[in-house]
Amino acid sequence: MNNTEAGSGQYAKRSAFKAMWKQLQKNKGAMIGLVIIGVIVVVAVVSQFAFDYERDIIAQNVANKLQHPSLEHPFGTDALGRDVLGRVAYGARYSLAIGVVSVLIALVVGVVLGAAAGYIGGRFEDVVMRITDIFSAIPSVLLAIAIVSSLGKSTFNLMVAVGVASAPSFVRVARASVLTVRGEEYIESARAIGMHDWKIVLVHILPNCLSQIIVQTTLRVASAIISAASLSFLGLGVPAPAPEWGSMLSEGRAYIRDYNYLMIFPGVAIMLTVLSFNLIGDGLRDALDPKLKR
Amino acid sequence: MHRYIINRLLMLIPVLLGVVFIVFFIMDLAPGDPVYQVAGEQATQQELQELRVKMGLDGNIFTRYIRYIGNMLRGDLGVSYISKRSVMRTYMERLPNTLVLASVTMLVAILISIPLGIIAAIHQNSMKDTVSMILSLLGLSMPNFWLGLLLIMLFSLKLKWVPSGGIDGVKSIILPALTVGMGLAALMTRTTRSSMLDVIRQDYLRTARSKGVTEKKVINKHALKNALIPIITVFGIQFSNVLGGSVLAETVFSWPGVGRLVVDAINQRDIPMVTGALVMTTMLVSVVNLLVDIVYAYVDPRIKAQYTK
Repeated sequence: MNNTEAGSGQYAKRSAFKAMWKQLQKNKGAMIGLVIIGVIVVVAVVSQFAFDYERDIIAQNVANKLQHPSLEHPFGTDALGRDVLGRVAYGARYSLAIGVVSVLIALVVGVVLGAAAGYIGGRFEDVVMRITDIFSAIPSVLLAIAIVSSLGKSTFNLMVAVGVASAPSFVRVARASVLTVRGEEYIESARAIGMHDWKIVLVHILPNCLSQIIVQTTLRVASAIISAASLSFLGLGVPAPAPEWGSMLSEGRAYIRDYNYLMIFPGVAIMLTVLSFNLIGDGLRDALDPKLKR
Repeated sequence: MHRYIINRLLMLIPVLLGVVFIVFFIMDLAPGDPVYQVAGEQATQQELQELRVKMGLDGNIFTRYIRYIGNMLRGDLGVSYISKRSVMRTYMERLPNTLVLASVTMLVAILISIPLGIIAAIHQNSMKDTVSMILSLLGLSMPNFWLGLLLIMLFSLKLKWVPSGGIDGVKSIILPALTVGMGLAALMTRTTRSSMLDVIRQDYLRTARSKGVTEKKVINKHALKNALIPIITVFGIQFSNVLGGSVLAETVFSWPGVGRLVVDAINQRDIPMVTGALVMTTMLVSVVNLLVDIVYAYVDPRIKAQYTK
């Protein structure tokens, strides 16, 4: 789909997306993933209107604490008497936002640096790639932990930390994709007619690397959600009393013996969200690159 | 071959220097002056200044970085703000626990993923294949620490087979190793399967089959040997994730390894300990990756040939 159609502009782009969508529809896993994500997004949006944050999500009601799941509280209540169903539902907003925003940070930083390194080459490329090597030498969980602990605990800092820790893979993917198309004839012709470098990268090179980057982005959202939940579990993520799934598991841990429902629902929520992004990512990879299909 | 090893070793030096700088820089962003933290409220300006020099906190970040590198080369990573003990010694005390956990984890992952991946590849698109792929996808989507909590609920609280935490006898390693190992196995099953599928389609396997070699022998002798090379490499790379993942597992299971050391040090704002532990762990990961590459080059005659010309 890439090289031959790239020159013919808008029409080609649209049909490439159509072709991808058609391929994706054939992939059962990806469709299941899209449905799950759809439901989670709806839950995240609806919970904004269905619950009052101050009253329903964070207000403590000790008289009501640690009630097992019942009709009134289908997921039970936590140690501070808060309804777990409401908190899990509201928590979708955090996980989705953190997953998407942190990957966007990684995407912008990584693609700009990687594409520039691949296109400019020479010294600049060397420097960017060595810095990437250095960042990826540090285990990503430890890197994210160090960044949060230094910047301080907040939702935004968590996004930055997870974003920085996932940026190196985008640098690599973007650079590799740029390198594969850099030598193509249509790039040479664009240069020959006097097109600006940044315009060549933006109009001709990046759209042709898009498939790789889309796949990487989807799979990275999945791992970013896990990283964010892990950091929150360690007490280094979203500060209490916000209903982030990782911190809910951390708070519930003290009651693991007698109130194990506290351990179940937030964990299932994390798993379903991550699973759906993984399913979509795998499906996209198969749809965009039939060579990889097995 | 020797040139290859020496080259790779030399390439490691700038990366490690860079790692130390980045860790140093990140920790420098932390708010608050550690000198106040140690000196207490009543200290005079002069006492503060003396303490600053004593703690090696005078000068700008570059001077301190150069000094740190110099000390590091002599095996000195500074002294903990909290316990006042040598960071290097504390790290080295904890390291064996983490290495034991990492090794058992790797073993668990190998024992699960290689058979599962091979079965999936041999029976491609069958029920067995689908089931093992679904299992590995679920494993990939489960946060490590949650899996650990579920295992505690089942095996130590309900069935009472194994302790839920601490380090006490062989039994206590089972759950933490399963926790990290199952996550890793999920990823490795996919790698094994695709590596095996690559090999199964090669001409020399068709030749072997047409010679009348039994299918079992084709798989065990011809296919597996070749398929193993990429699998081993990915395992080596995953060592970094095992050490990273063990931060969570060590926290869940109160395992006294370096991962827990880092988390505790961060909670106590013990900057020399955090810096030292991060630097040492990264160094360890880099050295292991290098070793894997060298072993890889030795095992695979095609790579060896590139360097022995």
